[in-house]
Amino acid sequence: MSEKKGLLSSGWGMAIHNKRYIFWFWLLNLTLAEFGTAAFRQSAHAILDHSMLADRLLHGFDLAVMIGLFARPEFGSMAAMSTVAGYFAFLFLLFTALFLPGVFQGYASTYRLPREDFFRACGRNLWRFIRLMIVAGIVMGIFAVVLFGISGALVKKAGESTNEVLPFEVHMAGLAVIFLVMTVLRIWFDLAEADIVLNDQRAVRKSIGAGFRHTFRAFWRLLTSYVVTTVFAAVILVGGLWIWMRLVGPEHWFDAFIVSQIILILLLIPRFWQRGIAVSYWQQNMVVPVVTYPSPFLDPKPVVAVVAAPPSPAPEAV
Amino acid sequence: MALTALVNRNPTTVTAAALQASAPATKAPLPAKGAENGATAEFSIPDTTLAINSDKPMSQRVVHYEIDAKYDAATHTVDATEVLTYHNLTGQALDHFPFHLYQNAFQPNATFVREAKIAGNRDTSYDKWEAKEYGSETIKNIEVVGQGDMAQGDLTGQLQYIAPDDGNKDDKTVVDLHMPKPIAPGAYVQFKIAFQTKFPETQARSGWKRDFVLGGQWFPKVGVWWNGAWNCHQYHAMTEFFADFGVYDVKLTVPQYEVVGASGVMVDEKNNPDNTKTVTYHGDDIHDFAWTASPRYKVRESVYQSQMGPIKLRFLMQPAHWSQAERHEKITTETLDHFEKWYGPYPYKTLTVVDPEPDSAAGGMEYPTFITGDSSWFMPAGMYVPELVVEHEFGHQYWYGMVATNEFEDAWMDEGINSYTEVKVLDSILGKNTSIMNEAGVTMGEREEQRLSYTSSADRDPIAQKAYDYYSYGSYGGITYGKTASVLVTLEGIIGEDTMAKAMHVYFMKYRFTHPGKEDFLKTIEEVSGKNLRWYFDQAIYGSQVMDYEVSSVDSFPVNWYEEKKDKKDAKKDAKDAKDDTVYQSYVSLHRKEDFVMPVEVEIKFDNGEKLREQWDGKSRWVRFSYQKKAKVVSAELDPDHKVQIDRNDFNNSFVVEANPRPTNKLSTYWLFATQWVSQALAWWAV
Repeated sequence: MSEKKGLLSSGWGMAIHNKRYIFWFWLLNLTLAEFGTAAFRQSAHAILDHSMLADRLLHGFDLAVMIGLFARPEFGSMAAMSTVAGYFAFLFLLFTALFLPGVFQGYASTYRLPREDFFRACGRNLWRFIRLMIVAGIVMGIFAVVLFGISGALVKKAGESTNEVLPFEVHMAGLAVIFLVMTVLRIWFDLAEADIVLNDQRAVRKSIGAGFRHTFRAFWRLLTSYVVTTVFAAVILVGGLWIWMRLVGPEHWFDAFIVSQIILILLLIPRFWQRGIAVSYWQQNMVVPVVTYPSPFLDPKPVVAVVAAPPSPAPEAV
Repeated sequence: MALTALVNRNPTTVTAAALQASAPATKAPLPAKGAENGATAEFSIPDTTLAINSDKPMSQRVVHYEIDAKYDAATHTVDATEVLTYHNLTGQALDHFPFHLYQNAFQPNATFVREAKIAGNRDTSYDKWEAKEYGSETIKNIEVVGQGDMAQGDLTGQLQYIAPDDGNKDDKTVVDLHMPKPIAPGAYVQFKIAFQTKFPETQARSGWKRDFVLGGQWFPKVGVWWNGAWNCHQYHAMTEFFADFGVYDVKLTVPQYEVVGASGVMVDEKNNPDNTKTVTYHGDDIHDFAWTASPRYKVRESVYQSQMGPIKLRFLMQPAHWSQAERHEKITTETLDHFEKWYGPYPYKTLTVVDPEPDSAAGGMEYPTFITGDSSWFMPAGMYVPELVVEHEFGHQYWYGMVATNEFEDAWMDEGINSYTEVKVLDSILGKNTSIMNEAGVTMGEREEQRLSYTSSADRDPIAQKAYDYYSYGSYGGITYGKTASVLVTLEGIIGEDTMAKAMHVYFMKYRFTHPGKEDFLKTIEEVSGKNLRWYFDQAIYGSQVMDYEVSSVDSFPVNWYEEKKDKKDAKKDAKDAKDDTVYQSYVSLHRKEDFVMPVEVEIKFDNGEKLREQWDGKSRWVRFSYQKKAKVVSAELDPDHKVQIDRNDFNNSFVVEANPRPTNKLSTYWLFATQWVSQALAWWAV
């Protein structure tokens, strides 16, 4: 129990002590999303800005007006706009993969990681992370397809029942199982990511192997930690949306913007918390033992060394 | 075997003693030559009133169906005998009788399925075909009483499948029977039919799902003599039904565990030794009979005091929807209140509201005194799906049930007029902009929903068109329901809300229990309003013209715009001093973008608070209004009272000079949040 607390609290500490990373990732996401939603904004301005009908979107939210807006040919295709937004979402994913090694490095450091070291870690691990992402994508994709397939079949079977709620219950149970399995996979690859960066592991397969072994070595401890952080995220999302709906007046769009961005920035915390947990676990359990030359006159026990990069002479922080 | 029993049975014993006590059958006098012309002098249509709050029949009764049916829940099959007494009120001798066999539509090569594959369908894609989706309706034996010179009256061999609409030889939804002897005008004829119906897994609001069954369009039904000819169309993917008024006496034998509901009043229920029970129903002045059975219905009953007498309301609810029973009852009684007050009395003694099996294609259907709703176990209080469906289907008791228009040829007259009254009733009960949804700050109203449905396929088809001739199911829905409702709401703006209400009342009272055509409705509106509305009907009902008016530009500039200022500073000073004295030349331009011509009103507002209203007949493509005032135009709005519901694009109906970016900012905030959230979720799992 104390160990579990240790992982959660040390992971939390890493995330909060390095909260600037969360801020930068939020800013990156916001910037990319601004580009991704530009076409939508432009189309909406062209139709709504001079129309009295737009008031029904501002004072309240008339769904019919919104559907009517989306149906206008001059508005453009929502599918196309979603695709563009999707591209920028994918770009955010790539940027996350690019900058994540620096985050791991920063978490493992006992000092404020200088900017150069941050980007050095990013550059040194970029291709390793891309390779790892591909492996993770294949593994998680296979699991997702299989699990969603099974879940879908069970839901369909439950649909034959005369209990109307049963398909929903089966669906929810299926999602819960899928969530747990995918979380286990996420733990595995998070540990592998930590190992690649902190162990400076060029052979990605070795980190994947190490991550896999340790995932099951400390299965319940890690899983519980990840589930707790995910529940925390769910609470943030639900609570944030509730506050948005209850406290923000329909015509106060700027207040809505602020609340929505606070929700999003808070939602980044649990994922960085999980990465902190991974780094913390790696430091406690996966660090590579370094054996010094044996001396007949000294204690021959191996010495465990932290493999994080040494401090830079120019500590300009990121 | 069943037929033998039927032949030896006295038809009058089908109805219960109570039925006979209510009003004994009377025998109409037959023409002297009736027997010679194939008719039998002993037949009649009962003038019973057991199922209506009236002491005399309310319709001209043409048919009397007596059906004895046994339902096999394991095979979803009905084996039945049917005695159909037909009164020839056509004014001419009839030498053949067409019958609908609707359940034969659910065969792979039937017209219904062929059309559904091309044009779409409400609830089935027909991408693949499974055995459970087959339906069939087979006449095993048919006899015409009194025409016994052909093998004891057995005319089964004379039956001939016909396809009057498309000539599809594989379509068996209409069968024609040529009579050995014509039936003289005013005479009666009695058919004795043994048939078997196999229901498909629910399609088009009929059939079974799990242990539920909805028996709709399940028995051989004679066509309607209408406008001087038999009207008996094939069953199409986009059509509904058409039948004559009469009396129904139906015995249903089902397993004892079933909870049963049906059209009409239940007059008898008895258990049989073989663990079945027989439930007997009687219906007066109705033109169809439907029933349902499920072992899991939970029943709620209440009584509504209508203008003509008490109505027994019966709600057959799904167990998981039991908490919604009160919602169903509330909307039913409120709808009844409105219909009785606005259009006329509901004369029947019963109304059965069925909450059908979840995930079945049985929801949202109307039969006389019997409707199906549609709901789900998760139905927040502000989502008005049950209310919407129950109101709509109840409305059909008036626009289909009593005003029995031809649903094959004039679908707009039942679905469209009903959608219009749905807008009116739901506006009144649930609010104009909130009658579909009012949840978590998000709202939607029924009239806007109808308009959106119309504008999604505005230029495909006219309203006045046979239902099976529509381009697609989407066009059929958008035009028949959405356009008709929007056209009638707009008409209300032209002739006035009170006049329209009066016209609807007159139309209902004049044409209830008849089969009116489109001109009967349109002329009633013209007569009541005292206006010639052909210019509107020709475009809106008979034409496919589309309306789109816009405020194309608004400009204001000082009349002395050409006077140069010495420098900017002076110009600003002068402008400040002369602010109140500056005279502006303003122009407001309106543009008719499409081909629907209609007079419109425009309201122009100036920055001194002044408002002007101008009229434009819309005949030219554009018009420009000009003003010279000590004020600039701040906005122009077409149709400021929002009477026009058929304008394809409402966004360009107004123009505010000073841009207001806040609505877009609000929408963009939502879209931005959604995009960012998806990005973060993707990154959460992928890296």
